[in-house]
Amino acid sequence: MVDLSDITFYVMIVVVIGGAVAALESKEIIYGAIGLAFSFLGVAALFFLLDAPFVAVFQITVYIGAVAVLILFTVMLVREGRWMHDSPGRTGKLAGVLTAAALALSLILAFLASKQLNSSEQSLPNGFNLVYIGQLISGPEAPILEVLALVLAASILGAVMLAKVDREDKP
Amino acid sequence: MSKRITTFSAFVRQVILLVLVLVGVLALLSIPSYFVLKQYFDIDLLQLAKMAISNPQSVINFMMSTTQNEPTKSLFLFTTFPGFTFAALFSTVFMIWVERKFVAKIQMRVGPQYAGRVEGVFQNFADLIKLLFKEIIIPDKADKRIFIGVPLALMFVSGALLSLVPVGPTTYIANPSVGVILVFALIGLSPIIALLAGWASNNKYSLLGGLRALHQMVAYEIPMLISAVGVVVLSASLSIMGVVQAQSSIWFILLQPLGAIVFFIAILAELERIPFDLPEADSELVAGWQTEYGGMTFGIFQLATYIKFYALAGIFTAFFLGGWYGPSPAPPAFWFILKTFIVMLAMMLPRAVLPRIRIDQLLRGGWTRLMALSFVNLFMALLLVSLGLYHVGGL
Repeated sequence: MVDLSDITFYVMIVVVIGGAVAALESKEIIYGAIGLAFSFLGVAALFFLLDAPFVAVFQITVYIGAVAVLILFTVMLVREGRWMHDSPGRTGKLAGVLTAAALALSLILAFLASKQLNSSEQSLPNGFNLVYIGQLISGPEAPILEVLALVLAASILGAVMLAKVDREDKP
Repeated sequence: MSKRITTFSAFVRQVILLVLVLVGVLALLSIPSYFVLKQYFDIDLLQLAKMAISNPQSVINFMMSTTQNEPTKSLFLFTTFPGFTFAALFSTVFMIWVERKFVAKIQMRVGPQYAGRVEGVFQNFADLIKLLFKEIIIPDKADKRIFIGVPLALMFVSGALLSLVPVGPTTYIANPSVGVILVFALIGLSPIIALLAGWASNNKYSLLGGLRALHQMVAYEIPMLISAVGVVVLSASLSIMGVVQAQSSIWFILLQPLGAIVFFIAILAELERIPFDLPEADSELVAGWQTEYGGMTFGIFQLATYIKFYALAGIFTAFFLGGWYGPSPAPPAFWFILKTFIVMLAMMLPRAVLPRIRIDQLLRGGWTRLMALSFVNLFMALLLVSLGLYHVGGL
């Protein structure tokens, strides 16, 4: 019997790949942005199916709530999308398809070759959950978190500085 | 459009065609749903129909049993009681009428009066019938696919938010382990929807309303999230059920008054209710990003907005007002719905008394004041926990 999770998996695969194709191929650029958002949503659903709700929820929050909004916001201002007109030629398209196929093949081979996925036993420690990750981050791995926070703060400051310089340039 | 019908035979042909189309649509809808019900929920509709003819009482028994046994219980929860039907009826049919009467009484007006004899209780049904019969006009230059898709997307977001509302210890639809973050993930989808609605309408006012909605929602999402983190710190749980269960002895509004205020204001801004209704702004933007929507598309917007209103008020109740906890003779769901009703009344109050604020006031308030207050609130929560003044379950 076909399981409900199997059906969900295949539907979501179609959503992810269809969204990605729409993001690249659609003539109207805003459909591309929406396709990208759908693709992200499908990936989030796949994470839910894999029983990783934390990653799934942050996939939605960050990629759709922030990245897709940003892209849409930018795209709104260039409705005609003239700068997208020069499409790659036949050789370019062929090269792209071949590269993608080779990448997919190598990924599939790597997954098949890895022992962790083939073994049926649980490879993660039993108490591996959100609390464990939190303890790791606040305990032994704390310096990494601090460094990441510094990098983020620096990038935000840089963005603010760039925006400010832009404004002063205007008469 | 269809040809004008002149002869009787043409009329008969039209009727037969219509019946065939209806039968086809019904068959397409009913046969898959029959098998889905049979396969996943153990409900055999054919057998049920036979039972109904021979012994009507047994059908009532069967209906009662669906609310108790496992596979059908989740279906019942999702579709009926804490789920969609209840929320739609409670938040639109009842709450819109309450809102109109409540605001009218405060402003010393009368409010709806004529439909339904007693205080105009059937005004909403009259409005619904009007909306159903109005033509849905799609502007010529609008982007038709997005234009039609947006109300459905808004409905989807509202329904997903609704599934996270914990009405009682057993009557809940979904209890994901990361429910608190999921609330914010779902709220984060709504600016996209507002922006797309404004853009697809191809109308200046709509686009302006969509851009305002985007700015407002993004600005108020962040203080909302940070004020909810205080609750998460106190309850040591990311699931909404866990947050409610941590309040069995003391409600978080007493420990986190600042967080409750920030969360409340941010909810008002997320819902675009007065005084934060700049994206709609009846008098200047003529309903903002909803300008071009008429008839039932507007009806779907209203339904989705009010379901979201109910869901966010319910989430406020779960975070700060102790969820379903209350004196025991009444069932837990009663206490939850009562508290949600009071929260919704409190959210209607500004509509009666406050004017709309300007966009610069709104953005400054969101990015600076509310943000600072929510951080102060978070530090208070951290102090309570780290000084050992508070353990999960009591002071």
